[in-house]
Amino acid sequence: MKELFQLGRDTLLFKHEAYVQHVARADALKRGLALLVLVTLIAGIASLVVNFAGGLRPTNVQAELREVEEGLQAFFDDAGPFLNLPPDFKKGVYQGFRAARPGIEMGMRIADLPTPLPKPVGIALSSLGKFLSLPFNRLAGWIGYGVWVLLAAKLLGGRATIAQTLGATAIYAVPHVLDILGPVPCLGGLLGLVATVWGIAIYVKALAVANEFGVGRATAATVLPALLFTALALLGMLVLFILSLALG
Amino acid sequence: MKTLIRLAWEALFLSEEPYAEMRDSPNAVPRGLGLVVLVALAVALVGLVGGTLEWATTPDMRDVQKVVLEGIKQMDWYKELQDNPEFREQFTQQFEMGWRIFPQLFGAPNLATAGLQIALLPLRLVLTWFLYGLVAHLFARLLGGQGGLGQTLGCTALAVAPQILNLATFFPYLVVGGVVGTWTILCRYVALKTCHRFRWGRALAATLLPYVALAVVVSLFACLGGVVGALIFGGGTTQ
Repeated sequence: MKELFQLGRDTLLFKHEAYVQHVARADALKRGLALLVLVTLIAGIASLVVNFAGGLRPTNVQAELREVEEGLQAFFDDAGPFLNLPPDFKKGVYQGFRAARPGIEMGMRIADLPTPLPKPVGIALSSLGKFLSLPFNRLAGWIGYGVWVLLAAKLLGGRATIAQTLGATAIYAVPHVLDILGPVPCLGGLLGLVATVWGIAIYVKALAVANEFGVGRATAATVLPALLFTALALLGMLVLFILSLALG
Repeated sequence: MKTLIRLAWEALFLSEEPYAEMRDSPNAVPRGLGLVVLVALAVALVGLVGGTLEWATTPDMRDVQKVVLEGIKQMDWYKELQDNPEFREQFTQQFEMGWRIFPQLFGAPNLATAGLQIALLPLRLVLTWFLYGLVAHLFARLLGGQGGLGQTLGCTALAVAPQILNLATFFPYLVVGGVVGTWTILCRYVALKTCHRFRWGRALAATLLPYVALAVVVSLFACLGGVVGALIFGGGTTQ
């Protein structure tokens, strides 16, 4: 554990030797994954507590709906004059809210229905399940994008094995420990952005070290899949646009 | 058993050693089969525990149905149409039918389905492993691979390792998501690369070509179904 913390700290500080030693280890993927899971769980502790406490709070359907309506009113009072909204916008929002109201009430009534096990047990298990799902969400995103980066790195002359590349890039998650402050208004979002940029920088550095190539090619391998997806999405939209024009 | 668990655990981390060990094993196919069944049974049993806990912390679906029906009856559009007896009859029929389908689709806990997985999951994983192994072997040989069929099946059986992640469904409400599918493809790549001693490009082709073949077959069947459907219904209207 101590070793993992040291790896995390050295990674954050971009210590070249730490990256080289990590990639050279036979258990690089195991260590990288352990770090990714650990960081994600630490970062998710705040939301676990918030979810659990929120779940235990007794719900009053009418009070909750009143709160939402008051929130909308406050938004329009505070931000409305600055946003230069069209005159019908506010009316449309309130109409939408009124239309959604029976659905919201329905959801809240379902949440209040009795269950075989006591409610707090269900709330605890549900919060725990969501909390433990966090590493899997991060893993899915990382590995889903990682396979394309692996391919790009190979095409650009990378020498690392899959286990080395994935083991190296998994440590991109370390700065996301800042996500623990995610629920804090304003600061949480800002720190999230810092963690994302820091994480991308670590990803590029780790990819360069694992594949024994320069930062330029590592950046290209990291960015190429995103560019490709964007280009494909734009192409798809263009085709749809042309089709819609052609079909009248 | 202990060796199989060790092999699966190491295979999960994409190291080539467990795949090489399986390739060189004289009884790779029975070991592979044993591994797939073992992992599938473990995942299904653990899923049953998680599913039971989820069921025990979820309201009875009949109560939920009642609340939804009452909620819909409070909606403006329903109030406008409720005086029409034909609408009321059709709505009741469609609501009852929808209620038999949608809760299952949206993951409402069902003990019978979770229990059935103990038989169905091993069957599904064994079939998938065997079919993928056969087709991948065919492509691997076409690409110049040196491994035998038994070796390919033995190695690709280790690609069941990412299913180990599904053991986390012991915890109710936990969602493992798409990570297993992608990880399985990576394990299959390492399996074929190691088994047939491929360089990365050929290993990638041998890994992905079975998926391409499957997509082609499914598309062909869909087209064929469309043509047959058009012939049947087209023929029906002309008579």
